[in-house]
Amino acid sequence: MSDKQLYTSAEDERRDQEMSTNGAGGDGLVRLAAQPEKKEGLTLEEVRGKLNGKTGKKYWRSLEELSDKPGFGEMLAREFPQQASEWIDPVSRRGFLKLAGASLALAGLAGCTKQPDEPIYPYVKAPEDLLLGKPMYFATAFPFPTGAVPVLVKSDAFRPVKVDGNPEHPYNQGSSDALTQGTLLDLYDPDRSQHVIYRGETRTWAAFQAAWRSTLASKKASSGAGIYLLSGTVTSPTLAAQWKKAQATFPNAKLVQYDAVNRDSAYAASKAAFGDYQDAQYKLDAADVILSLDADFLSSAVHPGFHRLAKDYANKRRLDGTTEMNRLYSVESRTTTTGLKAEHRLALRASDIVPFAAALAGTLATGGASYSGSDDAKKFLAAVAKDLKANTGKCVVIPGEQQSPQVHLAAIAINEALGNVGKTVVYTETVNPLPSIQTDDLKSLVADMNAGKVEWLVVLNSNPVYAAPGDLKFDEAAGKVKTIVHLGSHVDETAQLAHWHLNGAHYLESWSDARAYDGTVSIVQPMIDPLYGGHTAHEIVQAMLDNPDLSAYETVRDTWKQQLSGKGDFEFNWRKTLHDGFIAGTAFQPKGGAGKAATGSGQNLPAQSDALEIVFRADYNVYDGRFANIGWLQELPQPVTNLSWDNAAQLSYGTLAKLGLAEHDVVEISANGQKVLAPVLAVPGHPDNSITLTLGQGRSHAGRVGSGHGFNANAVRSSASPLFFAGASLRKTGDTYEFAVTKSHYTDHRAVFAGGDGSGTHSIEGNEAIDRAIVRYATLEEFKQNPNFAHEGEGKEDPEADESMFPAWRYDQNAWGMSIDMNACVGCNACIVSCYAENNIAVVGKHQVQIGRNMQWLRIDTYFEGDLAAPRAHFQPMTCQHCENAPCEQVCPVGATVHTPEGLNTMVYNRCVGTRYCSNNCPYKVRRFNFLLFSDYETESLKFMHNPDVTVRSRGVMEKCSYCVQRINGAKIEADKENREIRDGEIVTACQQACPTNAIIFGNINDRGSKVRKLKEQSRTYGVLADNNTRPRTTYVAEVLNLNPELAEA
Amino acid sequence: MAQIFDRSSNALARMSLVLTGLIVIALGVTLNELQRSPWVTRQGQRADQPVPFSHKHHVQGLGLQCQYCHTSVEKSSYAGIPPTKTCMNCHAQIWTNANLLEPVRHSWETNESLVWTKVHDLPDYVYFSHEIHVSKGIGCSSCHGRVDEMPIMYEQNTLQMEWCLNCHRNPEKNLRPTGEIYNMAWTGPSELKPEWCAVKKNSQAGVPTAQDVTCTATDPASSGGAQLASMQMLPVGLHGQATARDAGGMAVPATLHYEKFNSQEELGKFLAGQYHIRTPRDLSSCEVCHR
Repeated sequence: MSDKQLYTSAEDERRDQEMSTNGAGGDGLVRLAAQPEKKEGLTLEEVRGKLNGKTGKKYWRSLEELSDKPGFGEMLAREFPQQASEWIDPVSRRGFLKLAGASLALAGLAGCTKQPDEPIYPYVKAPEDLLLGKPMYFATAFPFPTGAVPVLVKSDAFRPVKVDGNPEHPYNQGSSDALTQGTLLDLYDPDRSQHVIYRGETRTWAAFQAAWRSTLASKKASSGAGIYLLSGTVTSPTLAAQWKKAQATFPNAKLVQYDAVNRDSAYAASKAAFGDYQDAQYKLDAADVILSLDADFLSSAVHPGFHRLAKDYANKRRLDGTTEMNRLYSVESRTTTTGLKAEHRLALRASDIVPFAAALAGTLATGGASYSGSDDAKKFLAAVAKDLKANTGKCVVIPGEQQSPQVHLAAIAINEALGNVGKTVVYTETVNPLPSIQTDDLKSLVADMNAGKVEWLVVLNSNPVYAAPGDLKFDEAAGKVKTIVHLGSHVDETAQLAHWHLNGAHYLESWSDARAYDGTVSIVQPMIDPLYGGHTAHEIVQAMLDNPDLSAYETVRDTWKQQLSGKGDFEFNWRKTLHDGFIAGTAFQPKGGAGKAATGSGQNLPAQSDALEIVFRADYNVYDGRFANIGWLQELPQPVTNLSWDNAAQLSYGTLAKLGLAEHDVVEISANGQKVLAPVLAVPGHPDNSITLTLGQGRSHAGRVGSGHGFNANAVRSSASPLFFAGASLRKTGDTYEFAVTKSHYTDHRAVFAGGDGSGTHSIEGNEAIDRAIVRYATLEEFKQNPNFAHEGEGKEDPEADESMFPAWRYDQNAWGMSIDMNACVGCNACIVSCYAENNIAVVGKHQVQIGRNMQWLRIDTYFEGDLAAPRAHFQPMTCQHCENAPCEQVCPVGATVHTPEGLNTMVYNRCVGTRYCSNNCPYKVRRFNFLLFSDYETESLKFMHNPDVTVRSRGVMEKCSYCVQRINGAKIEADKENREIRDGEIVTACQQACPTNAIIFGNINDRGSKVRKLKEQSRTYGVLADNNTRPRTTYVAEVLNLNPELAEA
Repeated sequence: MAQIFDRSSNALARMSLVLTGLIVIALGVTLNELQRSPWVTRQGQRADQPVPFSHKHHVQGLGLQCQYCHTSVEKSSYAGIPPTKTCMNCHAQIWTNANLLEPVRHSWETNESLVWTKVHDLPDYVYFSHEIHVSKGIGCSSCHGRVDEMPIMYEQNTLQMEWCLNCHRNPEKNLRPTGEIYNMAWTGPSELKPEWCAVKKNSQAGVPTAQDVTCTATDPASSGGAQLASMQMLPVGLHGQATARDAGGMAVPATLHYEKFNSQEELGKFLAGQYHIRTPRDLSSCEVCHR
């Protein structure tokens, strides 16, 4: 390995804590709790200085840790700085005794309280196929603008309790993502709209129908002039067909689709290249070299085809009996997991990627294009071009959805020139049935609204008042519309302005259809009767047709009647489709015809190199704001930044210094005559002179969870250049703002004699990552020379099993273990949200996250390495390691955490008295304590959602990853009933199930044939902190990087 | 100055010390007793139910098999509380005007559930599974008692953790042939009433427990006719002893090697091996019931 500086994401972690304690320098504080001390924040120069002086490999997780500043140690001495205030209230000795006495008395009484009588409500007539206590699984699909995610829903007594990928679907093969997992909470969101509302009064659906139909009748003469439908991206072929039919009767009615995050660039480029809207499907299973041009295809479902792309990408990196693997290059305008996973990454401003792409296309396809980038960029371009050329037909260039059409055109030209079309990329029909250039359509809609042409505006599952670019002033235009109808799941910003609000049905409650990335059709079928009697867009559009009462079910059936009648009986095929979740053989066939090499060079010249550029991106967690009220997603630490509950103006450390800002400063960003206040957050590897704003936060009417977090970046967006533009101005307001960054709660307080360095600046994850070998990796060359690299060197030795004063456990039958492939993990967070749903994990809120009380059982540690401006990073999912010599078990005074005969380190919640000794003694810091009553026992709708097989934990109880013990026991019971061993692969943990890259494998390590055993026998497998002789049951497969020697730093 | 306390107060002081000790002990004993008392456990208590349903009448009197109502006992963690429909299967035709059954008819007409009070109520943090118990040779009566003799349902056992562990630590003492699961009167073999069991020839892993072992209370060596007789008794034998003996019933080949068991201890040991009962160490591990 190179002798490089390494650092980890503890960076931000520490920074966050420091800021929270001593950054009280500003005037107007936008913080939750004012801190009494006044101390200076850490300046960038200091960090830089410290960094420059450092030699040797070093990981970091936070800047303060990196700089080893004395103040930081002091801050760390108080483990949870913000919490300090909780203990200052003067509790007198007497008061304390009183409390203690009372609690003792209560403890005694609590033991004798009898349970209240519990009623049983049996069915009057039981459904025929229901077996109470055994879940049922139904296939459906989550319709999403980037392509439907085929899902299999676990239903307990007909209540959906878990959403997972459909394992039989050819596209995602069982994997899912954070957003799809989060839709379960969306269904049970207590803030969902429950009624039809007309001017603030509750009405019936029939009343709306009457109004809508009489309007349609009166508009028949004018062919529907004045009727406008504004929909989110239409994903349903049936809805598209309905609309096309409606247009026959109402040719003057208009349908506008608009989502703040859309595919305008891709569509515009394909129109220019092919004369038609087409989708590009990338086939990474055939690609040895991948170049991402600002395409963040490994982060989340925000990128079309994420599940498939991530899976194929990871499958080429398994090194299972081979030393062949793919190589990923990434050129990107913000720091994403795709870039951090890439072997080689180049950070360029979004507008600088356009000439880069053009120059690359010039080199590889059209010939002769000059490039005037930096030396680094030139070197990168030359190396990439050479590598791509050497792998013609086995490489692929993926353009970013949020890049300009020119980049897409360049990618089309390069893929064409390199002979990749038909091999690593195919062009097909569009997944969405009515492709359109959404921003243009929205602009003309607003023009029509201002011109008074719009009489009825029916908004279908869209929130334009929030999401329209600020310069369009949609809310003002809306005032000129006679009647606005809003169909949506929440009474959101648009519903506030609308005359009619119709409560929408969730996709888990309704009939529809959608296509996945590969074009395969899925039928969306309801899992539950609409909780609040919601309605769908199908019904509204159907009202425009001859048979207005036809249900969505009937219309969807009609759409596919012909398709399904082909072979055999339609009813049979229909039922099979509902059972399977998709219509087999409906994947798109590649379209013939090469794209015109229209590289459109010259347009969109990059902004001046020192101009400040603003880039707009979908939020990883709340997307465009539609998931804002999902607590799981709000609290989920975003990849790379580990920011939860907020969005931030993300910029580089260089720009931060240049603008004279410190992190957490609130700045006023003005652009296009609009202003927005945003707190700044520096991100390692972010390109200079560029600010990334994520959409989706700053909702004012999202609900109890989602309202009032972050800022609405749409406000400064312009409809002329909605993706990125230069020329924003920025003003420091003097305020500061607190973030909830989850990185830095785990620090090492050991004194020198106890093995620490006494400074208090060590973090287990951060500083010790190298000397304790938490992250181990090698280049492909090094791996070939020394396959055993993960076990050689300081801190990498594994102690003998008998080197313990505690007797070894014996594991007669099963010994559960997990293997996590660091090469495959892309840090997408799908596992964490899956864990939320499976294990009834509580959402704690921003303040509690700030003081380190987030309850996720699983976190993804990001270890940065190298230069602040060009880091490499390693993603390490960290959860309970189920140590065989578990330090937690030995210190629990009440036996609440115990070792099972199968090697699980199990929590007995009912025994736990909350001493937290176990957490203190855990070297992995994976235990979570219910400091307060975090679980929601009250909200009716959330009761439906809980997994009935897992206890809902109350206050004062420690909890942690259980290896999904409920699933283990379920499988054991099944196996025992059949008198057999548990089969390998029969138990799938929730995180494993969600993982799109199969990075997590669980199984019985006593079983010689099991997958997990085989992985553990690999030379690259190592245990984190195994030198402690904790003998963790979760092991990691060390990462191998396939570096390009030309770019590998000397 | 006169002393504040006279001499007798020494005795008082000593006594109060002893008394305090006694009170503390008494409190402990009381709490302990209280915790195990029927007031807390509800052992033996008859809850108010909408209909005074008699298991005795339906099981002992009419001979209904447990699974007629508790349909999912072998398939799910819940045994299942019958829907109103199950009551109405018969009571649409008999006792159609009985006052006692008014709530049942009301439920049937209005489509509203009959609201029963749970008699066997485990705490919510305990995950109990009926299916694994009945398929591994634990009979209904082992936990629920002689339900066939209960005019009104009550809890026979405390269902407290120590009671569960008594069996989980020593499952042999309650194991019975799976053919006897629903036999309320099963008492285990004795010198006077031995049990003969045999392992089926095709016995192999992967075959459900119930099909693995065959048992009989009549000496299989005596004659094949004896077995046949016991089979023929089935329609009349409503009182337990002669309920279905084994799943293989008629097809028992004569070549089976039967072993005779004179005590529950021996039988339990045999069955624990044949049914692949997990070891007490496995069974008494916390995660078996708590998740």
